[in-house]
Amino acid sequence: MLVKLKVNGELRQADVPPETTLLKMLREDLGLTGAKLGCDVGDCGTCTVIVDGDSLNSCLMLAAKANGREITTIEGLATSADLHPLQKSFEELGALQCGFCGPGMLMSAKNLLDKNPEPSVHEIKDALSGNLCRCTGYTKIIEAIQDAGRELSGAAAGN
Amino acid sequence: MVTTVKDVKTGAEALTTDKELTAPAVKPVTLPSENPVVYPLTLPEPAARTQTPAVGQRASRPDGRLHGLGQTKYIDDLTFPHMIHAKILRSAHPHARIISVDTSEAEAMPGVFATLTGKEIPVNSFGPTLQDQPVLAGDIVRHRGDGVAAVAAVTEQIAADALEKIKVEYEPLPAVFDPVEALKDEIKVHAPNSNIYASKVIRKGDVDKALAESDHVFHREFRTQFVEHVPLEPHSSVAMWDGNGRVTIYSSLGRITLGREDLSRTLRIPQNRVRLIGTIVGGNFGGKNEITNEPILALLSKKTGRPVKCTYTRGDEFVSSTIRHPFIMDYTTGVNNEGKILARKIRLVLDGGAYCSWTGTTIGKGSILAPGPYNIDNLLVEAYAVYTNKTTTGAMRGFGAPQVCFAYESQMDDIAVALGIDPLEIRLRNAFSENSFSPTSQVLQSVAIKESLLQASDRFGWKE
Ligand code: FES
Ligand code: FES
Repeated sequence: MLVKLKVNGELRQADVPPETTLLKMLREDLGLTGAKLGCDVGDCGTCTVIVDGDSLNSCLMLAAKANGREITTIEGLATSADLHPLQKSFEELGALQCGFCGPGMLMSAKNLLDKNPEPSVHEIKDALSGNLCRCTGYTKIIEAIQDAGRELSGAAAGN
Repeated sequence: MVTTVKDVKTGAEALTTDKELTAPAVKPVTLPSENPVVYPLTLPEPAARTQTPAVGQRASRPDGRLHGLGQTKYIDDLTFPHMIHAKILRSAHPHARIISVDTSEAEAMPGVFATLTGKEIPVNSFGPTLQDQPVLAGDIVRHRGDGVAAVAAVTEQIAADALEKIKVEYEPLPAVFDPVEALKDEIKVHAPNSNIYASKVIRKGDVDKALAESDHVFHREFRTQFVEHVPLEPHSSVAMWDGNGRVTIYSSLGRITLGREDLSRTLRIPQNRVRLIGTIVGGNFGGKNEITNEPILALLSKKTGRPVKCTYTRGDEFVSSTIRHPFIMDYTTGVNNEGKILARKIRLVLDGGAYCSWTGTTIGKGSILAPGPYNIDNLLVEAYAVYTNKTTTGAMRGFGAPQVCFAYESQMDDIAVALGIDPLEIRLRNAFSENSFSPTSQVLQSVAIKESLLQASDRFGWKE
């Protein structure tokens, strides 16, 4: 079946079997391998992308359901001019070790900061509750999100 | 590696000016053995700080940028022209004889390229210590995670559907799950061999005499459980057999030189025909230290002339990849009235699961570390690893060290409570110091355990 969607601002389409998940379509048909397959059952969050302004597990969404919707993946986070503040702070603070959870973590974090630029530690933990990091660097991940949040809200306030 | 050095000059100067420095400038804290510890402590500046300017500096990971951009390529992110996908059928029983495997119906399915069974593996055994593990089961399955047959098909979905068409006839055999039962050898996992496949004994002094002379003797059994590594990246490999008889394999394996040996052995081709490429690993923790599906993919690629990929499902990970050894640990410890350990007798039983894997290393490290970081003159450690019809246990962070640590530290607490001694104090009274002997009589140097305990307890306010 033909699925058309907008990914990172670009119109894309692919002809996929009906059982194809959004994750598979992104990875295999559109060549966007940033979102990872960690469990395929909605437990780990490595496949997190943003669909119409909400972060969700792309392994749990059929590609057909994403038809006509707007998707942001990790590949759409940086611009050609600059990294997203989250990418900078994650890099600087060494918040990613093996990195496998990173794309999903960053998309959940972006979704949080879009809605709440100055989240408390509790709110961050809540937003990341669906994202596992088995290398268990959660402390640095939380610090990095706070850092990026400060930078984003500072920029918004014009200083 | 990019090092963000706050003050480069200090670092570089330290490197040149402190070259002559051989001993710590400040004496380490001396520890009162009888008297209680006095807080707060004045602590020495560690010599390593002045000798190694990088210590204490901030460094960022060289691969951090790509991780954040989602551009790091893990094995499952790779594709090759005409690549097909493999899936592995797992055993239906924990212990059974395989009467027959019929793959004809699976092979006839549209989209299926080839199948593979254990009989087709040139040398069907591998393992880092003992070569006791088949790539795909031969005549016997020894746990539910044993692969019985594999399918390569145009999509993962077709390969998964094809697995259901494979007919395997089994003759179930009695199985043993409890390692203590397995010690009796009534049900043998690798008949006719004994279930006990590795053992280690450490003896020092006269443990029975010292126990008899102790003021107090404590005894308790401790048990730990299975632990799966759960790397967020499941095991994944791609194999390509080329026309010149060489095979190239991309794998999430962490030990590629060992892997190449195992591949050369199982495929019965010289090592110079095996090109094994390890890229970035998405979490290993010891679980990606030996081959898993690589020879299967190599042979499927040889059969089909196409690159073949297999990425484990989370289910495959849990049942067929290795996990941490559960230990059953029997501790008997004799102490005097001051809490000084006089003797310790330990018996460890390691649940080895169906195959040996890294048990050799685990039993070694586990036994040597089992008495704990304490000066004990009379010691007996006996350790046995036994086969059971369960998931294979292998390497995982610490190779047996965390299991025994749980036991000896728990018992230290028991002793402290029973004798009314502060738990920190009882450890300080027994802990190793410079030039102590390890359980295997190795002379220990750079021993900082007491200082570490004091610093740590001081910082988190133990006395308050
Ligand atoms: S792969 Fe989607 S939650 Fe794990
Ligand atoms: S960095 Fe490895 S899982 Fe998070």
